[in-house]
Parts: sequence; C-alpha cells; structure tokens
Amino acid sequence: MTNCIEIKGLCKSYGDFALKNINLTLPGGSILGLIGENGAGKTTTIKCILNLIHRDAGEITLLGYDNIREERLAKQDIGLVLDECFFSDALRPLDLDKILAPAYREWDRKLFRSYLDKFGLPEKKLIKEFSRGMKMKLSLSAALAHHPRLLILDEATAGLDPVVRDEILDEFLGFIQDEDHAILMSSHITSDLEKVADYIAYIHQGQVVLSDAKDSILDSYGRVGCTAAQLENIDPRDILRTRKGTFGCEALVGDRVAFSRKYPMLLVERTTLEDIMLFVGKGETK
Amino acid sequence: MTGLITKDFLVMRKMLRSYLLMIVVYTILAYLDFFDYSFIITFVQVALSVLPISAFAYDEQSKWDRYAMSLPLGRSRVVGARYLFVLLLTLFTVAFGLAGTALLYLAHQADFLEMFVILMVSSAIGLLIPTILLPLSYKLGAERARPYLYAIVFIPVIAVVLLAKAGVLDMSMLKGMDLLAPTALAGGSALLPLAGLALLFVSYLISCRVAAGKEY
Repeated sequence: MTNCIEIKGLCKSYGDFALKNINLTLPGGSILGLIGENGAGKTTTIKCILNLIHRDAGEITLLGYDNIREERLAKQDIGLVLDECFFSDALRPLDLDKILAPAYREWDRKLFRSYLDKFGLPEKKLIKEFSRGMKMKLSLSAALAHHPRLLILDEATAGLDPVVRDEILDEFLGFIQDEDHAILMSSHITSDLEKVADYIAYIHQGQVVLSDAKDSILDSYGRVGCTAAQLENIDPRDILRTRKGTFGCEALVGDRVAFSRKYPMLLVERTTLEDIMLFVGKGETK
Repeated sequence: MTGLITKDFLVMRKMLRSYLLMIVVYTILAYLDFFDYSFIITFVQVALSVLPISAFAYDEQSKWDRYAMSLPLGRSRVVGARYLFVLLLTLFTVAFGLAGTALLYLAHQADFLEMFVILMVSSAIGLLIPTILLPLSYKLGAERARPYLYAIVFIPVIAVVLLAKAGVLDMSMLKGMDLLAPTALAGGSALLPLAGLALLFVSYLISCRVAAGKEY
C-alpha cells in the first residue's frame, strides 16, 4: 500500500500566522480527516498541497509525484472539491464537460453524466438556479469524472443538510473501496469524520497537535467529569487538558483505561473529536 | 487549455450573442447607407477588447482562478488561455470587418482602402487595450484594473484633442497620408496589428510572471 500524500516539514508564514513543521501521511485506501478551528491552517495546508501558495519549507509528494516539479502529472489524478462552487452562475452542468474534458487525460463524459443523473442534477439548468447542495454535488461530479485516485475536499460538506451530507459521505466510502484511492477531507463537522475517516489530524494554531488513527484516538482518549477538588488531586501528568465550568470541571485524558485503573472513583467517558477540539481550543493545561 | 477558452466563450455567450446581433444589424444599416461602416468596425473592436476584463470580473465572482490553477495545466497555460481568447475575439472582428468591407465595396463601390486602414488601426487598438489591461488585471484584479481602462482609452484621446487645439499637434499632417501610394498605406497599416501582436506576446510573458508569483 503506497502513500497518496506525504507531507514533510511543511512551513508557511504569513507574518501573523504560520504553519509550523506540518508532517502528514495519507495511506492508500483510507480517508484522512483534517480538523481544526477557523484559521488554524487547514486550508493553508491544502493550498500548499495544490501549489496554490508558495511554501517556505518542506516537501510534499502526491501519489508519488513531487507537487511542484511534477505538478501537472500529480493533478491529473486529483479530484478537488473546495468549500464553494467555482463554476460561474452563467454556466450549465453540461458546459463543464466541454470545459474540463480537454484538461484531463481520463475525463469520462459518460461517467460525468451518470453522476449528474445519480445526483438528480438537471444537465441544462443554469448553475445560478442551483441550491448549495446541488452545487456541491456538481463539484463532486466534476471531481470524480476523470477517475481520480486522490480526492481533496476542503469543507465540502459545510452548509449541507444531513440527507445530502449522508449521500455525499456514501459516495466517499464507495470511492475508497479501491486500495489505490484516498481522500483528504477537511471539515468542521467532526461527526462526518467520525463516520468515514480512518485517520485524523488536528491542526491547532498552525501545528499538528494530534495525528493518529481515528479508532485509536476515540478508543484511548477519555473525558473525566469531576469537581474542582477532585481535579486538584489528579496528577497533572495523567491529564492532557482541563476545562472549568460553573457546574464542575472536565479533563481530557490520553489513556482512558489506564486512568480508570488509577482513579477508580472517577468516571471516564468515551470522548468525541468535537470534545477533543473543545479541550484543545478552549481548555488549559493543568 | 482549449477548455479554458471554451469556458470564457460559454460564460460570456449572452454578451457575445448581443455583440454579434449588433454587428449584423449595423452592417445591414451600413449597407443601407444609414451608418458609416468604419465607425462600426472601430466601435466593435474596442468593445470586444474590453471583454477579457469582464472575463476577469466573472472569474473573480466565482473565484474560478483558484480552481483553474488547481487543474493539471500549469499557470502559464491558464494565462495563455486568456490571451488566446483575446486573439480569437480580435480575429473574429477582423474577419467580420473584412467581410463587411468587401461586401460594401462590391455593393456600393465604397472606399476599400480607407475602410481597410481603419480596420487595421482599430485592430491594433483592440490588441493594445488587453495588452496593457491583462497584466494589470492579473496583478490588481478586475475591479482595480478597470480605472486604467478608462485612462488608456480616454487620456490619449483627450491629450490629442488638447494638443491639437493648443496648436502643438498639427492635424493637417494626417491629410498628408493621402499623398502616400495606396499600397504603401495598406501595407503600413497592416503592420500595426502585427506590432500589436508582438506587444501582446510581451504582455503575456509579463502576465505569466505575475501569475507565477501570485498566491491563490
């Protein structure tokens, strides 16, 4: 199994914000979920991957190709859905076939039309009359119609209703059945990632603060609810972050089982990606 | 690259259709002696040369640039597609202008040479406007580049009028052109669009440089 994305030591500085030493790997046949607050660096990372911005340092390999020296070769096999629809309102879905077919070696007109059909998108309707969900489905149809091996999705499911989101997530799961395929998916909707992602990378203030298999994260991390007095008695080395509220305190632990064994009086619950984000984003270290 | 050129035509098909209709209607009116055809040629040429700036505005609206730069084309091809769009528009207008000129010459014995010279001059102007505006649009974006369009079109006209009025510029020298041999005049004017093409190529290289350094 080869890696579809390898990022080593990626740095990019904007003065007031910087991506610092990002290292990520996306193995074939899997989905990597990129989570983080607004402005944490997810989109900047994706822009560096696509060579839309100039990185300061680091190396990026996409499907075995260097993303700058072999940019065109790499992009032949990449499907892209970003947070908005980039197609002019004056176009119609069938126009995209004429626009994108010359750009891709393996553009598949039949496949594109079959996606339009599958997603119930009228071929000749102006895009300006499409809802947000329809626009995202159109972007996805265009992204999949050239048989890509790697899908890069930046907030692709944001603003969509649960039914459309579920439909699109199913499509992603279908895509990933091929071991050569992979998806990098940045999203604020952590429940979507819990549903489909195999790996999670959490970017916080320009740095990867957590990167592991999703199941491993959800199996090992835990959330402890306790009083301020109980929190005082916990060894700081046993907790990662804490949050103090009006009705009590919470702590994030890295090894739920070990913590339960050491503190049998405290209840440790399974945690979610959203909890982890809240602990890192709003919590503090003890 | 052809896909991107197709995209520009498709996005602006409504506008192009109305231009086409306008050319046909005015050609008929010129044929019926209601209008001066050379004026129409110049008008259409200048109007079409502004279209690439509109293409930029459409692209900005849909943030197309970021998507285009993500396609497996490379930045210079994306820029090249926009310049080819300009060239195709110019070629289309020149072809239409030549056809109309020939038609009016055959039907009305119109002054072919005069119309040809005007067509060549207007084509050169039609190429010169995007030559200046495209690198500016890549650098500044459509909205911020637009005021330069007015500057390019109006400042030379106002300057010529003012200089002529002040007596600095002797407009009577233009009459001297009548003394030139028709072949020299036709040949000389045909060189103008070629010079425009050369400048457009330099402009393309500048735009490529701007696009290469830009972040999307």
